[in-house]
Amino acid sequence: MIWQIDLLILTLIVICGFCTIVVKDLLGAAVIFGAYSFLMCLLWTEMGAVDVAFTEASVGAGVSTVLFFAAVHRTTRHVKMKPSGRLMGKTIGLAAAGLMGCVLLYATTDFPSWADPNSPASTHVSPRYITGTIPDTSVPNMVTSVLADYRGFDTMFETAVILTAGLAVLIILGQTGNRSPLPISRLPQGPITQGYDDTIIRFITRIMTPFLQLFALYVIAHGHHSPGGGFQGGVILGATFILMSISYDLRMVTNRFNERTNLLLANTGLLIYSGIGALCLILGANFLDYSALAKILPGTTTITARSEAMLGVEIGVALAVMAIVILIYNNLVSNGTYENGL
Amino acid sequence: MINPEQYPILIVIVPFLSAFFLSITGCFKRSLCRPIALLALFGAAAAAVGSLHRVITTGIIHYRLGGWPPPFGIEYVIDHLNGLVLVVITLVALLAAIFSGKSVERELPGKEPLFYALFLLLVVGLLGMTITGDAFNLYVLLEISSLTAYALIAIGQDRAIHASFNYLIIGTIGASFYLLGVGHLYIMTGSLNMADLASILPQLYGSKAILTAFLLILIGVWTKMAFFPLHTWLPNSYTYAPTATSCLVAPLMTKVAVYIMIRMMFSVFTPAYVFHHLAMAPVVIWMAIAAIVGGSLLALSQRDFKKMLTYLIVAEVGYMVGGIWLANRLGITGAILHIVNDAFMTLCLFLAAGTIIHRTGGHHFDNLKGLFHQMPLTMTAFTIGALSMIGVPPTAGFFSKWYLILGSIQAGRYEFVAALLFSSLVNAVLFFRLLEISYFEKPPHQENTAHGPVSMVAEAPLTMLVPLLVSAITLIVLGIYSGELVTKIIQFAVPAGI
Amino acid sequence: MLEFILAKYNYWIYILIMMIGLYAMLAKNNLIKKIIGMGIFQTAIIIFYVSAGAKRGGTIPIIEHAHGAEGNAVDVLHYINPLPHVLMLTAIVVSVGTLGVALALALRIYGRYNSLEEDEILDRIDQDETATETTGALPTTMIQS
Repeated sequence: MIWQIDLLILTLIVICGFCTIVVKDLLGAAVIFGAYSFLMCLLWTEMGAVDVAFTEASVGAGVSTVLFFAAVHRTTRHVKMKPSGRLMGKTIGLAAAGLMGCVLLYATTDFPSWADPNSPASTHVSPRYITGTIPDTSVPNMVTSVLADYRGFDTMFETAVILTAGLAVLIILGQTGNRSPLPISRLPQGPITQGYDDTIIRFITRIMTPFLQLFALYVIAHGHHSPGGGFQGGVILGATFILMSISYDLRMVTNRFNERTNLLLANTGLLIYSGIGALCLILGANFLDYSALAKILPGTTTITARSEAMLGVEIGVALAVMAIVILIYNNLVSNGTYENGL
Repeated sequence: MINPEQYPILIVIVPFLSAFFLSITGCFKRSLCRPIALLALFGAAAAAVGSLHRVITTGIIHYRLGGWPPPFGIEYVIDHLNGLVLVVITLVALLAAIFSGKSVERELPGKEPLFYALFLLLVVGLLGMTITGDAFNLYVLLEISSLTAYALIAIGQDRAIHASFNYLIIGTIGASFYLLGVGHLYIMTGSLNMADLASILPQLYGSKAILTAFLLILIGVWTKMAFFPLHTWLPNSYTYAPTATSCLVAPLMTKVAVYIMIRMMFSVFTPAYVFHHLAMAPVVIWMAIAAIVGGSLLALSQRDFKKMLTYLIVAEVGYMVGGIWLANRLGITGAILHIVNDAFMTLCLFLAAGTIIHRTGGHHFDNLKGLFHQMPLTMTAFTIGALSMIGVPPTAGFFSKWYLILGSIQAGRYEFVAALLFSSLVNAVLFFRLLEISYFEKPPHQENTAHGPVSMVAEAPLTMLVPLLVSAITLIVLGIYSGELVTKIIQFAVPAGI
Repeated sequence: MLEFILAKYNYWIYILIMMIGLYAMLAKNNLIKKIIGMGIFQTAIIIFYVSAGAKRGGTIPIIEHAHGAEGNAVDVLHYINPLPHVLMLTAIVVSVGTLGVALALALRIYGRYNSLEEDEILDRIDQDETATETTGALPTTMIQS
């Protein structure tokens, strides 16, 4: 932790944040917001939160920016100038922001100083995770062990949040245009013609995609020992398909992953996660108590069973996240019609 | 059979797993969706009733998820308060799901799988928020219930999309404030478990950060429950939502938010801090009075009965918040009883409204003309709901209002008594006007273009009528047995020392 | 003085970012701008949590040489607090979910009112409503005998 770097990044973040909301072009705002996310990612790394940084890089800077692009592409990039008016809204906004700022500032006076090793947050619950992760679960990356085991129940619902978002996007955008009833399983077939016919981009995409996907699988599988895990890996997997859809055509992706496949994959992912939990229940332990799985997993003790079960749930998470990322992007970029993309 | 110790998790897991199972089945056979959803909700209701029974007979239930001991893992805690709320949620959701069949078929053709999957996830969110003993777990489930609610509202008619967008923005601010409040608690204590927090906080009562945490959580929850003047998102969202959505969301969302407020005040911050250390109660009671009066007056100015009902929700939230902050046994008992009663009252009225909309096609006052003769059963149920809203014995609404009035007299808050009486009066005016229109006015002559004059509007189909009548009868049963409810359950839910 | 600033500046800056986000959500007229404000608002909270988990002298929360030196006791002071990181992974995922839904709603609104500006949308909603009121007709398509 080097406070000079920290301060520099924070200053840049504030500048980027300010620019995003004043700039008059939505595409520009989306790009600056992407930069903002990358700076965040640096900040997390600098503070040692590598898993958060990884997630921010893939989700915040990667997928969010693409989603913004898709939405701006489907609407308009112009922000109308308002010479006057909306004074009311501005006053409310300023007043609310000012009030909130004052209250929060008031609270900071009692905070333990930043990065203090003796702060309550560092001394009360967390030492158990740091010292317990190896003896309890045999997973060196304690973020993974807390994520998938100690607080695995949160993570299950977190995955459900993503699935919910996917279903929500589908039900909201499903009303536009003349679409056949959901879910669509047959789509208009045909040659891939639309999009930028750029040979270099297409060639590089074609070469890169397998490696990117291999990397994503590595991230999922190696999450126990290094930053990464189901979310990050799943997002990278999904991003490779988004990349194909941008450099070729949306149809290239929907031919491989149609809506029904995506829904099936996402729900299967969540069934894997909650199914592992329910299996523990059937084996006589509490929900998500992976140690019970030692009875059926050959060659494991109650401790290593936890590690293996975590890999299982991470795979479930990755499946769900990948499918939903693709689903949300496809729907946003085509306004729910799957006809043509970016 | 299933070990009763596992009931707490089953309440949440049964609908949760069913949602995905349903979503997969829906890809192949759409007609199976509704039966799966009903089965799942029935299972959850059974587990909730089983858990409440265990709480009454053996005391508070703790359930360790993943087998980890509490401050390290997540814990489910069921006591008298949330045991009761869980039963209410599951029963209301079950009735709403039975009701929804025809209206989903009509309003959202072809979207049944998505609708029911989101419906179940919304119920899971509400149940999970109620049952959890972990402050952060509550946030995740809050987001699940909010995201599903945004989606289910957005698919309604007219202004629904815009209303849903506003709800999303304001709802996200509310949820983020809650998250930030939990963060303040975390930075000062290092814990997220509610019971653990409650044991650490007494040393920190003087801390400014803890005060801020309390304010942030309170504002976040108030936003979610549409407490005046943070109610602006609610009327349009609930009015323009599809019938099936509003029948689920209107009775439950605000009530669960009130429950969270009670949980935070009593189980995390403790009554000693909230009532004795902070001198906020008079301010909050005045805000509750503003909510009651404001909600009632706005309801009075509507010409659309669904919208009128949504403003009444805003007023009812004032009842419950005010009752809690009266800080005496009677007031809190009244508020908790009102959570139960109001859930069923709102359900009854929204089911009746949904039935009328299903048959007449609109939610304007004019649509009610002459309905008493055409849909006698529906309108009888509507009348019972209305009487309960006004607070006529022996309907349930009377008893909770009675406790609230006694509580406010005991606390010396006569202004709150006045607000309650004023709201009852306004409710009487509102509902008698509606009943007058539906009983005395002649139905409009509707010229149908293709098939000659339209026949009389018929009584509702059975799948709509049964849940509606059940909810109406529940109101009377709740009224008759409210004494039992208070002595067997609610009095244990009021924290000791009040 | 420097000590004091160093102890708190992280928290001050998160407040500033949060204020920018809240202002954009409430005061901006453009829906996409509101959504960007929402993103800023949510990331500010993440800064807050991650700052709460920072520990001077600690390294990233992955046990070093985990399987080589299993006998060695792990020193708590040596590793950063992992709990806020886990919580914030959840928050990031929640925020991207909310973002997806918000953008979908914005697309639908644009499709219907052909604008992303709040005041124009409200104007058009008013026009729609007065139009239905003047004709006064019930939506007869919904009526079923």
